[in-house]
Amino acid sequence: MDERVDERVRVMVVDDHPMWRDAVERDLAAAGFEVVAVAADGHQALARFPAARPQVVVLDLQIPGPSGVEVTAQVLQQDPAARVLILSASGEQADVLGAVKAGATGYLVKSASREELLDAVRRVAAGDTVFTPGLAGLVLGEFRRIAEGPADDPVDQLTERETEVLKMVAKGMSYKQIAERLVLSHRTVQNHVQNTLRKLQMNNRVQLTRWAIEHGLDDDDE
Amino acid sequence: MTGWSGVAIWAYGAPRRRTPVLLGLDLALAIGSLLLTPVVKGADFNATVPGFWVMGALLAWAVHWHVRGGLVAAMAISVADLGIRDHIEQANYGNVFLLMIGGPIVGYMCGSLQRMATERDLAERAAAAAEERARLARAVHDGVLQVLSLMQRRGAEAGGAWAELGQVAGEQERSLRSLIRQQAGVTAEASDREQDLAGALEALGTASATRVEVSTPGHPVLLPGPVVSELVAAAGACLDNVGRHAGPDARAWVLLEELESSVVVTVRDDGPGIPAGRLEAAQHEGRLGVAESIRGRLAALGGEARLDTGSWGTEWELEAPR
Repeated sequence: MDERVDERVRVMVVDDHPMWRDAVERDLAAAGFEVVAVAADGHQALARFPAARPQVVVLDLQIPGPSGVEVTAQVLQQDPAARVLILSASGEQADVLGAVKAGATGYLVKSASREELLDAVRRVAAGDTVFTPGLAGLVLGEFRRIAEGPADDPVDQLTERETEVLKMVAKGMSYKQIAERLVLSHRTVQNHVQNTLRKLQMNNRVQLTRWAIEHGLDDDDE
Repeated sequence: MTGWSGVAIWAYGAPRRRTPVLLGLDLALAIGSLLLTPVVKGADFNATVPGFWVMGALLAWAVHWHVRGGLVAAMAISVADLGIRDHIEQANYGNVFLLMIGGPIVGYMCGSLQRMATERDLAERAAAAAEERARLARAVHDGVLQVLSLMQRRGAEAGGAWAELGQVAGEQERSLRSLIRQQAGVTAEASDREQDLAGALEALGTASATRVEVSTPGHPVLLPGPVVSELVAAAGACLDNVGRHAGPDARAWVLLEELESSVVVTVRDDGPGIPAGRLEAAQHEGRLGVAESIRGRLAALGGEARLDTGSWGTEWELEAPR
């Protein structure tokens, strides 16, 4: 397999564990990615992000300073074209869901192999989403929770197809297997998965805005 | 008496001044004024000089020394009150009775209030300590998981004995991660009657010989205890089957979904699937078989077990009403 990328993808690695940071940096560099910055905590990450302008931020969730979830939100606010790939050791469910709601488009546990990591960075850079079965289960649960909420909430629900695809991801099937079983193209399966994340992020924004209005935080500029 | 009332109000105002000396003085003055009554009012008085003023000292004793204080003060005052009278009427007995019953009861209530406050403080401290321990544990776990993951990765790349070490690290990493999730389900909400199905399935995944990945909604799914144990037993039977028929390299996934009126546990493996006719053949031979026992468990819960199998593997869907 040709591991070199045509146009070198600019990556930033944020991890407070030096051994991990170095290992990930080395693997990425060896595979032809350009590691433009590393950071050991949230403060460093936010300080270095504007100058380094990475396309992909490989982010550990449990970091000192502003948490991984906050870093995700702030980084994407500065540069909506950037992509965030969460690489977490413990995969604490609330944090993972929080990061995905804040706009992260990929999630991987640290026990993933080197190839899985490189593939994930490549796919996230290309605009794809990288799901684990665990994350798919969380997202399904979140949509069900939203569905049971107040009926007047202007939220996007998943279509039947999207739920079906997400369930299959949660059952450990690859996009390729799902495409075969549902007789869909690989691209269509990917679009369905992407849509679920997009809706989740939209709903999160709607909820945040509602919350802000209810608490009178929208009067700031008056 | 008016003067002492002022002094007493000031003196009892601060906890450090509430000494046995003050309390003793208070009671002594109350009894002293009682004893003065015959001198001041003559032997055949009706009401004592202090009257109900003695209650002040009695209540102070009850509050400070609880039941015993209330009882001692009540007895002392009663004895003094009865001792100075030359004839005792029914009303005097009534007053003594009220003193004797009021002192200990006020004392008892103060005691239990104080005990409850102490217990509440202890519980609050325990909760705060548990929270802090959980926070510290998160940091420790994260560090350990990092190292285990790293060992797994580097070990696999180095090969040989290192690969074995990496594999062991990987197993530990998975079970620690699962334990952390199970811990998240341990809440005050779970009671004897209700258990968390999500945590129970995580535990099942850790215990299984097959490599299992468990997906849950991310929050405790509380169901009656018997329902949880039956569902876990059925899912466990599915996983045992995976180990038996799909080989040691097969992987399995468990998905828990919380629907409006039911819960669905899906167990999928990537094995070769169950050959057509094998289940029927087993039934024909009179063997009930694992499939029937799984179906039976779900039917007993008022739910349903669905089996789907093909070249892509085997999938059990266990649905039980909530």
